[in-house]
Amino acid sequence: MGSLWLLPAIACYALSAILFLADRMSGKVRLAGWAIMTLGAGAVLHALDLAARGLQAGNIPVANFAESLSFLAWVTALASLLLIVRLRMSVIGAYAAPAIAIAMGVSTAMTTRGRLVLPAPLQSVWLPIHVGLAIVGYAMFILAASVSLVYLAYESRLKAKRPLKPDAERLPSLEKLDRVNYSLLAWGFVMLSAAIVTGAIWADATWGHFWSWEPKESWSLVIWILYAALLESRLTVGWRGRRAAALTIVVFVVLVGSFVGVSLVFPGKHGGSFG
Amino acid sequence: MGKTTLFILGLSHRTAPVAVRERLAYAEAEIPQTLANIKQRVASVSEVAILSTCNRVEMVGVAADSSVACDELAAFIAQDRQVGLPVFGDALYRMEGREAARHLFRVGASLDSMMVGEPQILGQLKLAYAEAARAGTVGLVLHRAFHKAFSTAKRIRKGTLIGHGAVSVSSAAVALARQIFDRLSDKTVMLMGAGKMAELTARQLQSIGIESLLITSRTFDNAVTLARELGGTAVPFDNYRPYLKMADVVIGSISVAKPIIGPEEFDAVIRERRYRPMFLIDLGVPRNFDERLNSIENVYLYDIDDLGQVADKSRAEREKEADKGEEIVEQELKSFEHWMAGLDLVPTIKDIRYSIERLRDVELGRNQSWIAALGPSERERVELLTRSLTNKLIHRILLGLRQGGNSAADNNYAAEVARRLLCGEFDLDDPEFDAIEDDDEP
Repeated sequence: MGSLWLLPAIACYALSAILFLADRMSGKVRLAGWAIMTLGAGAVLHALDLAARGLQAGNIPVANFAESLSFLAWVTALASLLLIVRLRMSVIGAYAAPAIAIAMGVSTAMTTRGRLVLPAPLQSVWLPIHVGLAIVGYAMFILAASVSLVYLAYESRLKAKRPLKPDAERLPSLEKLDRVNYSLLAWGFVMLSAAIVTGAIWADATWGHFWSWEPKESWSLVIWILYAALLESRLTVGWRGRRAAALTIVVFVVLVGSFVGVSLVFPGKHGGSFG
Repeated sequence: MGKTTLFILGLSHRTAPVAVRERLAYAEAEIPQTLANIKQRVASVSEVAILSTCNRVEMVGVAADSSVACDELAAFIAQDRQVGLPVFGDALYRMEGREAARHLFRVGASLDSMMVGEPQILGQLKLAYAEAARAGTVGLVLHRAFHKAFSTAKRIRKGTLIGHGAVSVSSAAVALARQIFDRLSDKTVMLMGAGKMAELTARQLQSIGIESLLITSRTFDNAVTLARELGGTAVPFDNYRPYLKMADVVIGSISVAKPIIGPEEFDAVIRERRYRPMFLIDLGVPRNFDERLNSIENVYLYDIDDLGQVADKSRAEREKEADKGEEIVEQELKSFEHWMAGLDLVPTIKDIRYSIERLRDVELGRNQSWIAALGPSERERVELLTRSLTNKLIHRILLGLRQGGNSAADNNYAAEVARRLLCGEFDLDDPEFDAIEDDDEP
């Protein structure tokens, strides 16, 4: 059920997406400032919506797929704002903002009417910890994939010797994109690991066993192994740059595919939420 | 006396080949004396500055009759430079008034430069102004015109992308390095061959922060000399291979019959570097690096043609931005012309004020006998009354003149009429003038 904050929040996200894209396309009109501000406004309104839902649910609002998606979109918005402002990489906005806007559209369309109640065993302090960690991890992976897309676009331009634009100075260098990609992957991996561990502890406390090989758990393990391999290849062989960016995107596609599939097809104990 | 106008007499890369330009060019040190000579010998010129660069020699001046001034200046130049007028006469352009101001603004904004948007010309123009100011050949008009040219140039540089983009081979290489690398202080450049172009590119890379420099050359002494000059390390050419993996940027400019390094060998280098990106700049003809190196992961190879294309593209972008610059020039030109039109009124206004105040003095003088008999406060009242009368009259005339017309021609006409009515035709000291007035009295 949407609160009255939801539609304005979506409108802000959509506007921000348009502004970021226009800023990228024109290359001359400086719209990035406005785009960042509308993205921030969207995140604030969205936070109010989440708070309203959270108060109603008595816990963080992640009772179903739609709510979890909304929560993920919010965390992604915050993380991308951080990236854009702190690292001056407004180009990321052109990828992240549309993704956030679309995710919110999907989430709203999927929202069922009526009051959502978490099943009793899930009403726990472990819920915000486990789900929060997982969602922050996913947000990092989303941004890592966005950064990798930017990397590949630039890379191919440089390889193909397509001349620079006059505003090339305000675009981040390949080296910077690669470094940011690595940090995002590393942090995402830490979060995902922590989410799996806390999930196991919580499962043991509730059901008496750490691991039950339900589809969600198995796929999480697969994703964890893939990201571990990706990080390992950089640290040992030194795979970086184009190869690292391409692999980041491949693993992310696996992540999205498996989690959407698992949530909708085999809900298991995770109850159709992907958190 | 004619109307004071700005004029320009000169020649540039558009009208004269370098063979002519170099014969007329003035070295910086010659300019003060030349300005002094013009001041002394060319009477028709009231203000003058000399702009002399590789691409142009121009005299920017002010004169009452600009065509006479231009003729005299051309003759002066011919004599001063010992070059016959037939040699450069055809290449000379003369401009006056609006045309001259537009040209000055366009030159300052680098719209008339060989490389549109190049930043040096503004500095050269400032120098030309400073020299003239020091020589005492700058007056009201040149002062205003040059400052307007400076502010116009600044406005264009800020408001358009005219100065953006890498337009030379070496600056294109630097711009590319910035797109690949983030931190430059921890990067290493390797020069293979100590050619001029390679040196220039290396210097530019140093200026944006690259600190470590390796130089190898087939003649080891050349490498050592350049290394000393640039603060780098010389590496023997027959043993450069172990150093190659340390280099993030490699600039090749050795004359070789076929590429120095093949893809197989380079594959090993990049693996040893753990795939850290490498930027290969090939300035050699024939090329130093096999073009297949570009398809190796994280290796970016640009040869001299690739860099040339990058530069061409930026040049085309600048040309587009130049159109916006032209618009700004037109706007600034309007405000300058407005000022010039007001300037034409200055002598007229002075004359009118003078003659009306003179009229008052004369009248007061004629009535001095009875004014002297008055008490001090009444005397003051007469003083005040007459002063306020003349001031109001002057004020009203000036107001009318200033609002007179939109064009300089309108203003000049109004000024001429006012001058005839109020000053020129009468001599206030003429007894006949007094007589006319007396006749009017009953």
